[in-house]
Amino acid sequence: MEFVVEEGKRVNEECSTLILPALSIGNVGQLAVDLLVSSTGADRVGYLDDPYLLPCVGNDAYGPLPCGEIALPLEVYESSSTATTLALQRSPVAKGMMIKFAENIADFAASSGKKHVIVLSSLDFQRLHHNLDMSRGPQVYYLSNAEANGRDDHCERLGFGRLNEYDSEGRCWKYLSSVFEENSKEELTFPAEDELEDIDYYPSLPFAALFSAFKARGLKVTCLLCYCSEGDNIPDAFLLAEAASKLTGLTPDKFHGEEGGKWQIPYSWKSMYGAPPDMSMF
Amino acid sequence: MEDVLTENPPPSRFFQEDLNNFTPSPEPPLPSPFIVFSNPKPELPLKPSLLIIALSSPSLHIFHSCLPSKTLIGTLIIPELPFSGNTVEPSLQDKSCNIYSLSDNNNKNSVLLVSVQLPVSPERSNLVSRLLIGQDIVPERVIILDSIQSRNFRGRLSPDEALTAKLETSSEKKAAATSRLNLDYFPSGSVIDGLSASLLSRCQLKNIRGTLVVSWPEFDPSVVRFVGGLLKSIVPGLDIKSVGKDLEMYSSRSGLKKDAWLDSDLYT
Repeated sequence: MEFVVEEGKRVNEECSTLILPALSIGNVGQLAVDLLVSSTGADRVGYLDDPYLLPCVGNDAYGPLPCGEIALPLEVYESSSTATTLALQRSPVAKGMMIKFAENIADFAASSGKKHVIVLSSLDFQRLHHNLDMSRGPQVYYLSNAEANGRDDHCERLGFGRLNEYDSEGRCWKYLSSVFEENSKEELTFPAEDELEDIDYYPSLPFAALFSAFKARGLKVTCLLCYCSEGDNIPDAFLLAEAASKLTGLTPDKFHGEEGGKWQIPYSWKSMYGAPPDMSMF
Repeated sequence: MEDVLTENPPPSRFFQEDLNNFTPSPEPPLPSPFIVFSNPKPELPLKPSLLIIALSSPSLHIFHSCLPSKTLIGTLIIPELPFSGNTVEPSLQDKSCNIYSLSDNNNKNSVLLVSVQLPVSPERSNLVSRLLIGQDIVPERVIILDSIQSRNFRGRLSPDEALTAKLETSSEKKAAATSRLNLDYFPSGSVIDGLSASLLSRCQLKNIRGTLVVSWPEFDPSVVRFVGGLLKSIVPGLDIKSVGKDLEMYSSRSGLKKDAWLDSDLYT
């Protein structure tokens, strides 16, 4: 993976926190990072060029009047006021290459001096095997490498729920660890798709590969997760974006939005669900 | 009416295998694409002032039928795609990716044309675009001609109404306005994927002037005329034979089907 600095831009080495999405149901992680980029007024500083990322291009996603600034599949933004780097991924990873992609992006994070990585992802509500306590509204879950069991004091104080389904000794979690750790002595076999069980759902997801890859590189990593279904996932994106801002100490009043520090909806979201219906049929 | 239970999910959503770390990668790994040049000892990299890459049916028609002065100088080979059905002389029905030079007495390879007549998968696009831009060929400026993909377009596309738009690299935007193509920008919220996206991305990463021009409908006489006019404006000395001939081939009802060269496998 190559990091290409945009012409005329410089990287701020004070930005030690990296926020990025994991591909997940409803594209929630990607929407959340989109929202954070738009609201913090983060500046694009470069691009990540990876051979395993499928190609896509588009027009500027943020400006009120799209001005033809080209958008690429994986872009790096910096919010200097919040010392945060945001990596926005717009397209999927080639089939079967998620582990290699995770390794590449972990290499980038480590070599560019990041200390803390926050991965935003959603989980499929239909895979849930216990009842969610919705009495206090939608819940954000987390997985951290601060402690061996995935627990983190700061996340607990913020009211996030620990992902209880994380089992570092589970077959698939151990396989991911062994793949990314250079000196791993265990040679575990690649789990076959038809052998996967329900418990293997969580480590099968892209966020798990990213978590394991960053952990192996010695970086602090926190995954923020929420359950959802396919549909209008904008509320889920807000939930994760707000959780990420709380975790990093950001508050909306520190944002750079036009309305004096509020969430700024990306311009490209106006057409997210396609064109309005053809009214001439009525 | 399509069955909502069994129809494929829209492109903004994922298939289960897209979200599975344990989906196996393709085995065995495919050999890399490569370019074979007519000149066995070419001076590489070639450095044309302009590289024009045709992917859309209208642009391929123009390249083949209306540019008599081009010279075949090479071909890009994608190993997993068979040559069966291809003719000895380049033909619009071939599954090929030929590279042509437009003759210019001052500079033999100042303008290169690439005629992409084979299906390049998104997974292979990265390798193909590296070959065409930045590896064996290092152009000063790139124009890519493709069609709008309705699956990725978030507005309304009418089969009776032609639409053209562009995306540019940053260095193209900074160039003199008179040298840039006078087209509306592709609307925000819609995306372009595949080889044309990979080519334009490569231009942006390499800080090369690049423009991707997309048009709609895919088979339409007005689009063919537009592409002909566009090429004439980009390369004023271009010898384009009358673009108006045989345009009835490009009506949406009776025209040349995009997948004609894919179907030809059945008959070789």
